[in-house]
Amino acid sequence: MKIAVCVKHAVDESELKIDPSGKPQLDGAATKMGTFDKNAVEEALRVKAAAGGEATAITVGKAEAKKSLKEALAMGADRGVHVVVDPGALDPRRTSELLAAALTKTGPYDIIMCSEGSSDTYTGLVPPMLAERLVLPYIGYVRKLEVSASGVRAERSLEESLEMVESSIPLVVSVVSEINEPRYPTLIQIMQASKKPVQELGADQLGTPDSPPATTVLSMSAQSSNRKRIIIEGSPDEAAAKLLDALVKEGVIQA
Amino acid sequence: MSGEIWSLSESTSVASEVAAGAQALANSMQGFVAVIIDMKEIRDDVHGAKKRLLLKGGENASGPPEVVAESIFRAATKLMPSVILVGATRNGREVASRLAIKLRTGCLAEASRLSLEDGRLVADRSVYAGKVTARISSSLPCVSTVRAGSYSRTDDIPGETQEYEVGEIAAKTKTLSSSKKESGTVDLKSAKVIISAGRGVKKKEDLSMLEDLAKDMKGALGCSRPLSSDLGWLPEEHHIGLTGVNVKPDLYLALGISGQLQHIAGMKDSKVVAAVNTDKDAPIFQASDYGIVGDLYLLVPALRRALTARRGTR
Repeated sequence: MKIAVCVKHAVDESELKIDPSGKPQLDGAATKMGTFDKNAVEEALRVKAAAGGEATAITVGKAEAKKSLKEALAMGADRGVHVVVDPGALDPRRTSELLAAALTKTGPYDIIMCSEGSSDTYTGLVPPMLAERLVLPYIGYVRKLEVSASGVRAERSLEESLEMVESSIPLVVSVVSEINEPRYPTLIQIMQASKKPVQELGADQLGTPDSPPATTVLSMSAQSSNRKRIIIEGSPDEAAAKLLDALVKEGVIQA
Repeated sequence: MSGEIWSLSESTSVASEVAAGAQALANSMQGFVAVIIDMKEIRDDVHGAKKRLLLKGGENASGPPEVVAESIFRAATKLMPSVILVGATRNGREVASRLAIKLRTGCLAEASRLSLEDGRLVADRSVYAGKVTARISSSLPCVSTVRAGSYSRTDDIPGETQEYEVGEIAAKTKTLSSSKKESGTVDLKSAKVIISAGRGVKKKEDLSMLEDLAKDMKGALGCSRPLSSDLGWLPEEHHIGLTGVNVKPDLYLALGISGQLQHIAGMKDSKVVAAVNTDKDAPIFQASDYGIVGDLYLLVPALRRALTARRGTR
């Protein structure tokens, strides 16, 4: 079983600073592997453990995106593919185009695993775009996955229902974060990861013309929080009574 | 391009919201018409736009998203809509992604506000777990997903229904079964009061104390991700946050929740937020109107007593 797992080297939203003019400081911002992508890596490793084979971690991003590949390798992926292109933070069309080309060039793969979305922009469009571009079956928002030699059976988690879906392989899958608990690599695994192969590809090697994007980011501005931030003091009974008074005054609970 | 703004969702309530968004766009610019897309059969409870397009053949709107996308693609290549708005549900995101690739158009996502400016569609959306609003535009024609709750339903009833035959479409995957999630009676989307539990709750049994408070306040019980995902104390349907349910009650009472950005992203549209946490530096207090630095094990009984006292003196 050849498994590819797509990861994004994402801006660490919890560390993101806002400059005095209200704009996010994206240059030099702290970065990390997308939180939910770890679940995709974990699931790829579980499928590999059950069915045998090889797991390849693949990313599209600037030079520093290699850190996320290293992390996936430390978790247990066998090799990495790094498409060294900055696809622009919010252009899933371009990201999926580069990923699809890289998967075709370095594949074939039986299962292409993704998370439901990246933790920074959480657009959720890249996995189905990949399937559409690669003309493969797609099962999205999977919370249970069974893989056999002939195909997969997956439980999809939708807003109000669960669906059991079957597909042949190869296919693209996206997983939700409750599917598993990602493992933490040991120090030895982290050291060994640097010895695992990482293939670098440029856009020119993938034959994807750098077409002008259809979308443009016009502005980014910090969301202001207009919360009152009133701390209520006193003993538990005093504080509880004061809180209820305030909530009644706000009109959000009945007097 | 026809100037039509198509709107669709497999969820009837989201479909009406997206239709209202399409109609608002059409009202803002001469030459645009909002259209509700129904598949296989007309859903009378979906309204909000002045025109309806019924795609005959294929699957209905709640069929596999790959089939829904192909149906709309076939109709779109013939009828040339300028904009296609899709409710940002889990299936809707797949439909929109596939359409943008099939139609070779730009794709905007998770729009909470839309406008037409200089012949482009402009979408405001939350990024970085709600820390930042990004304004992104796309040339027309284009596709965008629209976040649920962004537009209010209106009573505009379509005055005209057009029909289009899309023909048979085969799915690559096979849906074996579909079952409703066991969410019990929890309906966080429509709850006016939400009591939400976090890691400050020490064991599963203690949730009953919070449930009692929720009952007293005629509210619903929600939780942060660790309780549903890692600990499994509550079903996933109770999880409020970026990847869970997005809520906007009148009152959101966070008990023992530290306030990670992913959690805030799911509740920041609440009218009033109150929080109880033992850590005075917990980020939840920055996202709250009222905060009590204290132990929820003392505050929950105190709140119940205070509620009883209030009701007694009425």
